[in-house]
Amino acid sequence: MATIDDFEIARRSRMVKALYIYRPMNRLWHWVNAATILVLMITGFFMGRPFPSVEGDTSVLYVMGWLRYIHFVAGWILLVGFVLRVYLALSGNRYARELFLPDVLSREWWKGLFTELAWYMFLIKEPPKYAGHNPLAQFLMFCFFVVGLLVMLLTGFALFSEAVGQGSWADHLFGWVIELFGGNSLAVHAWHRLGMWCLIFIILAHIYTAVREDIMSRQSMVSTMISGWRMFKD
Amino acid sequence: MNETFYDVLRRQGITRRSFMKFCSLMAASMGLGAGAVPKIAHALETKPRTPVLWIHGLECTCCTESFIRSAHPLAKDVLLSMLSLDYDDTLMAAAGHQAESILDTIREKYKGNYILAVEGNPPLGEEGMYAIQGGRPFVDKLRECAADAKHIIAWGSCASWGCVQAARPNPTQATPVHKVITDRPVIKVPGCPPIAEVMTAVITYMLTFDRAPELDRMGRPKMFYSQRIHDKCYRRPHFDAGQYVEAWDDEGARKGYCLYKMGCKGPTTYNACSTTRWNEGVSFPIQSGHGCLGCSEHDFWDQGSFYNRVANLSQFGVEANADTIGMTIAAGVGAGIAAHAAVSAVVRYRGKTGIDVPEHGE
Amino acid sequence: MTRHETQGFTLDDTGRRIVVDPVTRIEGYMRVEVNVDENNVIRNAVSTGTLWRGLEVILKGRDPRDAWAFTQRICGVCTGTHALASVRAVENALGITIPDNANIIRNLMQLCLQVHDHLVHFYHLHALDWVDVVSALDADPRTTSELAQSLSDWPLSSPGYFRDIQNRLKAFVASGQLGLFTNGYWGNPAYRLPADANLMAVAHYLEALDFQKEIVKIHTVFGGKNPHPNWLVGGVPCAINLDGVGAVGAVNMERLNLVKSIIERTIEFVDKVYIPDLTAIAGFYRDWQYGGGISSQCLLAYGDIPVRANDYGPDSLLMPHGAIINGDLSTVHDVDLSDPEQIQEFVSHSWYTYPDETRGLHPWDGLTEPDFQLGPNTKGTRTKIEQIDENAKYSWIKSPRWRGHPMEVGPLARFVIGHVRGNPEFKEPVDRLLRTLDLPLEAIFSTLGRTAARGLEASWAAHKMAWFFDRLISNLKAGDTATANTERWDPATWPDDVKGYGFTEAPRGALGHWIHIRDRKIENYQAVVPTTWNGSPRDPQGQIGPFEAALMNTPLAKADEPLEILRTLHSFDPCLACSSH
Ligand code: HEM
Ligand code: HEM
Ligand code: NFV
Ligand code: SF4
Ligand code: SF4
Ligand code: F3S
Ligand SMILES: [Mg+2]
Repeated sequence: MATIDDFEIARRSRMVKALYIYRPMNRLWHWVNAATILVLMITGFFMGRPFPSVEGDTSVLYVMGWLRYIHFVAGWILLVGFVLRVYLALSGNRYARELFLPDVLSREWWKGLFTELAWYMFLIKEPPKYAGHNPLAQFLMFCFFVVGLLVMLLTGFALFSEAVGQGSWADHLFGWVIELFGGNSLAVHAWHRLGMWCLIFIILAHIYTAVREDIMSRQSMVSTMISGWRMFKD
Repeated sequence: MNETFYDVLRRQGITRRSFMKFCSLMAASMGLGAGAVPKIAHALETKPRTPVLWIHGLECTCCTESFIRSAHPLAKDVLLSMLSLDYDDTLMAAAGHQAESILDTIREKYKGNYILAVEGNPPLGEEGMYAIQGGRPFVDKLRECAADAKHIIAWGSCASWGCVQAARPNPTQATPVHKVITDRPVIKVPGCPPIAEVMTAVITYMLTFDRAPELDRMGRPKMFYSQRIHDKCYRRPHFDAGQYVEAWDDEGARKGYCLYKMGCKGPTTYNACSTTRWNEGVSFPIQSGHGCLGCSEHDFWDQGSFYNRVANLSQFGVEANADTIGMTIAAGVGAGIAAHAAVSAVVRYRGKTGIDVPEHGE
Repeated sequence: MTRHETQGFTLDDTGRRIVVDPVTRIEGYMRVEVNVDENNVIRNAVSTGTLWRGLEVILKGRDPRDAWAFTQRICGVCTGTHALASVRAVENALGITIPDNANIIRNLMQLCLQVHDHLVHFYHLHALDWVDVVSALDADPRTTSELAQSLSDWPLSSPGYFRDIQNRLKAFVASGQLGLFTNGYWGNPAYRLPADANLMAVAHYLEALDFQKEIVKIHTVFGGKNPHPNWLVGGVPCAINLDGVGAVGAVNMERLNLVKSIIERTIEFVDKVYIPDLTAIAGFYRDWQYGGGISSQCLLAYGDIPVRANDYGPDSLLMPHGAIINGDLSTVHDVDLSDPEQIQEFVSHSWYTYPDETRGLHPWDGLTEPDFQLGPNTKGTRTKIEQIDENAKYSWIKSPRWRGHPMEVGPLARFVIGHVRGNPEFKEPVDRLLRTLDLPLEAIFSTLGRTAARGLEASWAAHKMAWFFDRLISNLKAGDTATANTERWDPATWPDDVKGYGFTEAPRGALGHWIHIRDRKIENYQAVVPTTWNGSPRDPQGQIGPFEAALMNTPLAKADEPLEILRTLHSFDPCLACSSH
């Protein structure tokens, strides 16, 4: 839980300078996931707005075919990754669980969230330090990386079920999603595409805050996701 | 007792042999194997022609028009020999109370044994008085006729989904049939209009096999609506290759490239057009150079321009699609980040970091 | 109010009231109420359009390039004609020109609709008003055959052929399940045809049912399907590719041959079956001269079928245009769809509301706001109307007026205007038919005249298709294969605020669409449709519309069998979905 705890007390007394929080599997997951989403966004964008036509024979030209193929493969990786990440959360340390469990029932957590907001609005001079995610980051990551990716997975596989065909496993598992959107899968396409845009701006914000925190909050961020260690600079 | 179709044929001097020949022709025209022939024969030998009541709500009558375009079976054979179209206000001889009394007769005499075919839909606004027949709202007639029907068919996108009159803002509260008749299945045969041979095949299937066709999750006969236009489109190789019509009447259009960029809705449309085709197989929209409008799909009028590939999101107003919303917000977020970064830099440069962490969390 | 004079008619609602609802064998919902005097002669007529869908409301805020698809769904019977009016309105507003081939193909499609719609109307919607199906059972197939062969050299005319048809009909009737013919007015004394002619007509009812599905294949070639083919702002969607790579999927020689063969077969069917049947039937009803209504007073046509692309002026239009008022056949007025003084719609008796209902609105300023209310003299309840109150609002149809006059539109209007303008293509067939029937020119102002004009027009349209097909071929020969102009396809190239109108001659008459485009979206869209003209309710002056006028003073053979009412109404080929849209 992202509240002041034993660790924080120890840190404030300058006893701890660094902490190992992200295990290799978590770090691997993070970067594979990031790469997969990038691929999904690029292929997805051009599936909806294809490149200018190319001349040539369909036996060698397969531009849209490849785009879709890569998108679907990446879609599968995203799904496997997501399932794996859930497993990591269940099996891993408390930092691995944070992403899924914003502590919305605790007053502490909400207080922390507003403090963090105040920090971003330049209202306080130094942010509190957290070993895992601060409440704000946790909340946003939950909204976008858990809920958001779930929506993308559901809508994506619903669209995929149309390609696999009525009566297929995919149709049985995900066909209902299309009905949820009124029954015209064009609407699912539209929301799936809007989902991509949501991810784009949330990722922009994510990267920005990660880099900014690295610089401003005097604790490591980017390198933490590489080495697994959270370093504290004071 | 009513005469059966077979009796009628025998009385016409048609031999058993030519009757069986007719049955196998019918099986072939419906794409059924030889095994179906005895079944068809049996059906025709034992039953009087099933009465069909064909009623109209808010619609444009293109479904009736389409129906009479059927080439196999010919509309005239359907009407004279396969069923008994006892009521259809577009074609029937009687009018006024002579016409309306037929409804009562059939409902009574064939209780539970007639097919109700609905073209168009009931408006529920203004107590239903946007569609008045016999001085009463159409929705009353629909409910009464449905009560004793054996099967209910919703012809076309109007009856199935609401179609054009239900497009935003749906001024009459036009409502599809299955939302009014909720206690039993409604067989949806969508399309604006549906293909003639699809209509006659659905109804002759029901007469022949004495059962409703297998329906998909949304109530459409699987035999015609389980695959997309795109799945069987002959331009699909060009889609996969990335070869598109970029502008009307361009080189790609003349070569028959894929119409995806011109807004073709084939990838999201369940219908038989790319296989069965229209008007005896002469063509279908894509073959004649225009993208599919998605006319058999739910709310196909409200997904944005027919010429945009990226559909509109009605929740954000008429003009918004994912890309316009996305780019707007992304631009906003980008600007926000840049501004935030600038302020951050200034704050950091001033180096006002003397104050300690506020105490919290005890 | 019991007596009221208007347009030379005396309306008197004191006699017995007869209600016909639904009026069948039309498109859509219509109710008619008439008062008959002690001799069963109609002395007051009220026609009501009883459905509304709100297309004009739905079109607001949409992309103008999509409007054709919406308006096309105004009607599946005159399918395509609203699409044509719509693309023309958008092109007019935005200053878009179309290639010559696109103009030719559009003309082919519109002419194809004319023939198809007229043929289906004559045989499947109208014929049963003149033909007693049951009486055909008594015919002698040999005399039927002689009759048929005396009329034309259409091959399906042997005694054996008619015997087969008669046997099929006998079996059908004997089954006890009469289907569409249940409760018809069989045996009504108003039927005049001898049994042999009835049998011939029944045979042709079935042949026409088979053949009509062929005609529309012209729509299928160019527009991909029928009903509801596809259209395009700026041209037509089908590309032409005669001999290049991929020609097999475009309009090519095979497609052109298909179109050509359909045109040839259509001409043959119309000239060898439709026109002879029409002439024969008319011959038996020569003295049934009712139903003229206002056709000898006020007629309107916009003209259509431009010979030259983008030229909608009088010299370019092959179909007659102009307005005749007050029965003055010597003057044909020019019609300007953009003049706010000429075309106006009133709603004083329609279920819509205007701020000031004593005045009419030009369609560019048109309003469509539903307002369902029944007058104080209504009998029954709000949802179970037994008798309508025609002194209040009583129809979902608006009342369009040309310079204040109710106008009749349709084939008869076009032929009369063409005739008085001296256009031989319209004058000669009328004169010839009247000569054959030995009737004076005035006889054309009648139910039968309307029906006859429609048949003559079908023939005219069939032959014009052949003419335009040849034009298409010569263009292609000269190397011109363009079908679309995409210069202003992109809405970014459009002005901010523009208005336009588009018109056509639909099968049922003059059709106009008015559009106001603001910020690339439809700001206002108004359609004034043939059956809006013909089926219009009363206006603030108490003037009655063409349907109501045509029913006036007609005697009914049997007051409880509305055969004559149907006959006259059907002669207009009412389309109610069109009328109120
Ligand atoms: C260059 C790009 C990126 C950098 C530098 C970066 C950096 C980081 C950092 C430093 C954290 C840890 C935050 C913390 O400790 O509180 C983190 C967490 C996370 N990032 Fe990224 N990130 C990047 C791209 C992405 C992308 C593209 C995605 C996904 C679309 C993503 C998804 C996540 C998720 C889900 C977490 C939470 C991890 C967990 O709790 O296990 N990141 N990222
Ligand atoms: C971060 C996750 C994802 C992003 C950003 C993304 C993005 C996109 C975009 C932009 C489109 C084009 C939509 C259009 O304009 O019609 C698309 C289409 C599609 N996506 Fe995804 N997608 C994601 C995940 C998935 C997943 C997990 C699947 C599952 C296999 C999937 C399957 C599809 C399918 C089937 C289509 C339609 C392809 C077609 O119509 O040919 N997507 N995606
Ligand atoms: N009235 C009318 Fe139409 C026609 N002809 C349209 O413009 O029928 Ni449906
Ligand atoms: S489904 Fe389309 S074509 Fe059929 S009646 Fe409705 S609007 Fe007309
Ligand atoms: S033309 Fe339409 S249906 Fe055909 S392949 Fe292209 S997108 Fe699919
Ligand atoms: S527009 Fe309709 S007709 Fe077929 S190709 Fe598309 S479903
Ligand atoms: Mg109007």
